[in-house]
Amino acid sequence: MAQSFLEQARVLDFIVHLQTRHTVYAPHRRGQRSFAFEKTSDPAAVELDYPRVLGSVKKYFLPPRETLMDFDLKTDTATAPQVEPVNAVFLGVHSYDLAAVKRLDHNFLTGKPERNYLVRRQGARFIGVSYVPDKFHFAGSVGIDPYDMTGSDVFLTRHPDGWIVDVLTGEGAALLQGFALPPHALPKPKREHFTQHIYVPQDSLGRILEASYDHPVWNETARSCLSCGTCNLVCPTCYCFNVEDQVAVTGDSGSRERSWDGCMLRGFTEVAGGEVFREKSAARQRHRIYRKFKYLSDATGQPWCVGCGRCTAACTAGISIVDIVNRLIRDAEREEKITA
Amino acid sequence: MELQILKPGLETRELYLPEMAEITAVRRLTEMETLYTVKMPGGRELGHQPGQFVEVSLFGVGEAPISISSSPTRHGEFEMGIRRVGMLTEVLAGYQPGRKIGIRGPFGNGIDVSKFRGKDVLIVAGGIGLVPMRSMINYVLDRRDEFGRLIICYGSRSDTELLFTDELAAWEKDPRVEYHVTVDRGSPDWRGRTGVITTLLPGLQLDLPNTVCCVCGPPVMYRFVVLTLRGKGLPDDNIYLSLERRMKCGVGKCGHCQINGSYVCQDGPVYHLPDIAKLREAL
Repeated sequence: MAQSFLEQARVLDFIVHLQTRHTVYAPHRRGQRSFAFEKTSDPAAVELDYPRVLGSVKKYFLPPRETLMDFDLKTDTATAPQVEPVNAVFLGVHSYDLAAVKRLDHNFLTGKPERNYLVRRQGARFIGVSYVPDKFHFAGSVGIDPYDMTGSDVFLTRHPDGWIVDVLTGEGAALLQGFALPPHALPKPKREHFTQHIYVPQDSLGRILEASYDHPVWNETARSCLSCGTCNLVCPTCYCFNVEDQVAVTGDSGSRERSWDGCMLRGFTEVAGGEVFREKSAARQRHRIYRKFKYLSDATGQPWCVGCGRCTAACTAGISIVDIVNRLIRDAEREEKITA
Repeated sequence: MELQILKPGLETRELYLPEMAEITAVRRLTEMETLYTVKMPGGRELGHQPGQFVEVSLFGVGEAPISISSSPTRHGEFEMGIRRVGMLTEVLAGYQPGRKIGIRGPFGNGIDVSKFRGKDVLIVAGGIGLVPMRSMINYVLDRRDEFGRLIICYGSRSDTELLFTDELAAWEKDPRVEYHVTVDRGSPDWRGRTGVITTLLPGLQLDLPNTVCCVCGPPVMYRFVVLTLRGKGLPDDNIYLSLERRMKCGVGKCGHCQINGSYVCQDGPVYHLPDIAKLREAL
């Protein structure tokens, strides 16, 4: 579809246009260096130029905590609560976070589709924005360019004077209805380069990981890892969850609650009787990396790491997923040279 | 972004809401284990295979994966032999017939009985591993003509912890069953064999190519049993293992039960040994 142009001076008007017609979620500044997706009220508070939001839009489709059912202990009956479609416009989503939504869709909608996720996901429309990679982004290494418009209904590409607007779907066209934009014909500005890279194509990464199961990097990383689970918490494709019952103080009713869980936490694999199947931090680290680059990739044909850099940026111990993977690649290549 | 929308035909049934079933009988097996007989709503069949599990739900307490102990050949109600080891099973231990419990499932692949049909069936069960294996044992006994020999090797920590003692006694007398039992530590009046479960295997006379084995027991047991079976010359292709993990959701969504890349609630809990050769976390 044709491109048009949104001048910087009209960005506020554009946000007003959207939020008078829809619920709009967009990035807001939350601290000196942190940003978060929140419901817009003041258009001037929206930040379309941002490095990354702390948590992705995942929280709107898979909330950190949600009720799976309410139960009545007097009658031993349970009912599933009404789940509402999100029905909103997500303005300013980066390409890697849209790729992550696709991964979540895969987990919750293939096989037996899950009602909660499916209902909540209805009516989500995405306006993607380009970004300038910072020292943590490496999405290019997993095939997701900052200009990648996949998953967007409308995509905004940064231009010195404003934003180049691509309308990609009928829903996207509907979002712009009543907000006239002049056409734009010139090519997009060259995108900035990534400074972080995984130096190997995805297809051979699976093979390298296969051979790196006993690599010393797992134990070495475990020495500094605090097993705090922050990497799981901030990951836009981590979907593992725990389920626990809560009983009301009256003692006669309660609810079954689902909350995010993380494979880096020791209790993640614990079963009744005390057996922990991934007891060592090293095994948990390996599991996390393999889930992103091998297990789920083998099953779905695409990497489950989208290169956002959040796990590295947020790690209290300074553990870098890029460093781990590159070390495995380097050592595998050295090994190959020796055996060749 | 395009998304499957709610359309007729797309199954969107509530994955996590249990059906309310009724406990119809409670039988104490040992100090720690109890056998529960459960009737599904309307008396419908659970529709399971030997080796499958259900999620047992007690509102206010939670949910736990529990293996099914009865054979699908015994119609009507189903049974679960449950050890008191966690929060849910502790509460359940106080339940009497007439109480309602939530059930989801059956889940998992179960034992592919067709791989055992026409063959000699070797069951190796350690401790509470006998509970799911009892489903297969009774399946074979109820359809005795469809199988060759039925060899049961059962190991327990002590003779006071032996499960289903009435059935063990019946197997001992039954000419259609070759039953072997050992305990790690016997009480003073134990007259049987003492030693770990692997000590039962070397003495077995097996028609190797014609014997198919299923193993279930505590995590530490598998690698020793597999080594011993290999040592006897039983091909890996003839060995199945039923593995325990934390099957939380049962429907392949929550991530807890993974053995490397494999979801136990989807691909297991019964694994063909050649298939788990690549799963380093399995044994």
